[in-house]
Amino acid sequence: MQGSRRAHAPPLRSFRQIVEQLSYSEAVLDIELGLCLIYGMHSSPVVSIEQIRKSFGLFEAVRGVSCRIEAGECFGLLGPNGAGKSTLINMIYGASRRTSGKLEVFGMDPNVSSRAIKARLGVVTQENALDEGLTVRENMELYAAFVGVPARERKQRVRDLLGFMNLAHKENEPIQTLSGGMQRRLVFVRALLGKPELVILDEPTTGLDPAVRHLLWGKVNQLKAEGKTILLTTHYMHEAEVLCDRLVIMNKGEVIASGTPKDLREAHASGYVAVFETGEDFAALRTGAGSRSYQVLEDSSGLYVRAPRLEDLLDLQKEHGRQALQLRPSNLEDVFLKLTGPELNVDA
Amino acid sequence: MLNETLKLSWHIVRRNWWVYRKDFLANISPTVTDPAFMICSLGLGLGSYVSEMHDRTYLQFLAPGLAVGTAMFTAFFETSYGFYIRMTYESVFKAMLATPIGVREVILGEFIWVALKSALMVFGVSVVFLLFGQFQNPLNLLLTPVVGILVGVPIGAVGLIATCYVRNINQFQTVYSFIISPLYFFSGIFFPLTQMPEVVQLFAKVLPLYHGVVLCQSLYWNENIAAVWLVHVPVLLAYSAALLLWAYYKVLSKLQA
Ligand SMILES: Nc1ncnc2c1ncn2[C@@H]1O[C@H](COP(=O)(O)OP(=O)(O)OP(=O)(O)O)[C@@H](O)[C@H]1O
Ligand SMILES: [Mg+2]
Repeated sequence: MQGSRRAHAPPLRSFRQIVEQLSYSEAVLDIELGLCLIYGMHSSPVVSIEQIRKSFGLFEAVRGVSCRIEAGECFGLLGPNGAGKSTLINMIYGASRRTSGKLEVFGMDPNVSSRAIKARLGVVTQENALDEGLTVRENMELYAAFVGVPARERKQRVRDLLGFMNLAHKENEPIQTLSGGMQRRLVFVRALLGKPELVILDEPTTGLDPAVRHLLWGKVNQLKAEGKTILLTTHYMHEAEVLCDRLVIMNKGEVIASGTPKDLREAHASGYVAVFETGEDFAALRTGAGSRSYQVLEDSSGLYVRAPRLEDLLDLQKEHGRQALQLRPSNLEDVFLKLTGPELNVDA
Repeated sequence: MLNETLKLSWHIVRRNWWVYRKDFLANISPTVTDPAFMICSLGLGLGSYVSEMHDRTYLQFLAPGLAVGTAMFTAFFETSYGFYIRMTYESVFKAMLATPIGVREVILGEFIWVALKSALMVFGVSVVFLLFGQFQNPLNLLLTPVVGILVGVPIGAVGLIATCYVRNINQFQTVYSFIISPLYFFSGIFFPLTQMPEVVQLFAKVLPLYHGVVLCQSLYWNENIAAVWLVHVPVLLAYSAALLLWAYYKVLSKLQA
């Protein structure tokens, strides 16, 4: 562990060399280690993926994906339906075996050491898969046993986490009586029972109302603050923007873009966006925007025009005597639509 | 390593027990009612038309086989319909497999559960038969759970293998009609196999249930227990091992896509 941490720490190594030249003592080694821990970025990644592929029969769902998830970060995995996000996640925790490529989680290979890996991570699965034969507490105590919580601590661990997710009052209810949002929160509880270092969230907020979604974002931020590493997939670009430090966008089994949300915005959709109402004749507007080489995207919900500056869009409005429904800075959704194309979402 | 596997599998057994326990009365009542009805209709009703067989009444002949039959049905329904529903409709395993539990533990846990349930079934039915005076030596009752396990595991494996092949839940009916039913009717439960043409005898003796029936008969009738068990237990163990292995690899490829 320590060896590999040093191997990834060239700047600190030179720092150490300088200090050694000043003939300082062994204590410097401790400083170096301490710095590594503080900055985190020089420690070995929690997940390291190289050219990973997965085929189901003739169909290749993941086609050579590479990325690294560092300790303590929230890493986003975006992409349209069928992009291969869940397949990738399943391979990370060993529920599915990769066809080829290299994959290490906590420095171990999931095909070999899936049990040891799974003992250190928790998964909010895309489907709730709660055990309907059991009550809330029975479900959670069973899973506490699965993740190795000693028998006498289970009750308390379950209580604490139900409290954390505001579900304490549902302890003795059967699963069926819980609303969708409560069930989702319970799946969070289930994922956290083993005090995981890595929390995998596969579409944690799909189908939930905005209040629950915001509540869950708060919880995810709390987990981040506790130093947990998080892998998140979502179809809500705003959610990715709020939570993710870095992210990749996948499409048809390949990574088509990666970086921080800010990097991605700047690289693929910088500037400001005006959204004009649907149902009107866009021709003149489209030509006008096109002639200034602003990016234009049209779909059933309206005409999206992206320009470098807000003033450009104001000018465009004035020129055509039209009022945009929305004028806003570009966001990840613009990046996503530009890269994956609106038509892809239709047949997936 | 193995220790850990057993511990995790045991938690799966506990899970099934917790669910079973919720409808305990409904789940356990056939153990008592089935043999009671069998005694009335088959033993007393049909038996009055059947002359004595090898110095015993028809009911005496029938009882041990019926007890083993209940183990077979228990095991088959648990791993076919039961497992299929857990896997497909309730997706119980999807979340389990995201914990340190692997497919190996799931399968081992299911088999321990099936073995225990089949053992409980044969034992429970035998207790009722004991009360009706069907045991020559009441102490032999204590060995009946072993027969349940020896029959439950291979039949449970058959159900599990079927679960991997069926495309929907209705197809279990076919498996039932062409595998489980013939086993039930041609394994020497209802009449001595010696009555049948040799081909049929041979066919029956190849199938696992026959061996369980013979074991159970030796217990009820208190006849040649040691000699009979020495021959038939290894056969059932061999069946268990082979079918278990087959089931393991089928389920592995099913759950670990
Ligand atoms: N077990 C399987 N057998 C065959 N094909 C599969 C299997 N699992 C996934 N696929 C296919 O692989 C592709 C990627 O699926 P995956 O579930 O990883 O997508 P996703 O990015 O998670 O999509 P979503 O956003 O809808 O959850 C899909 O085309 C899917 O049909
Ligand atoms: Mg998915």
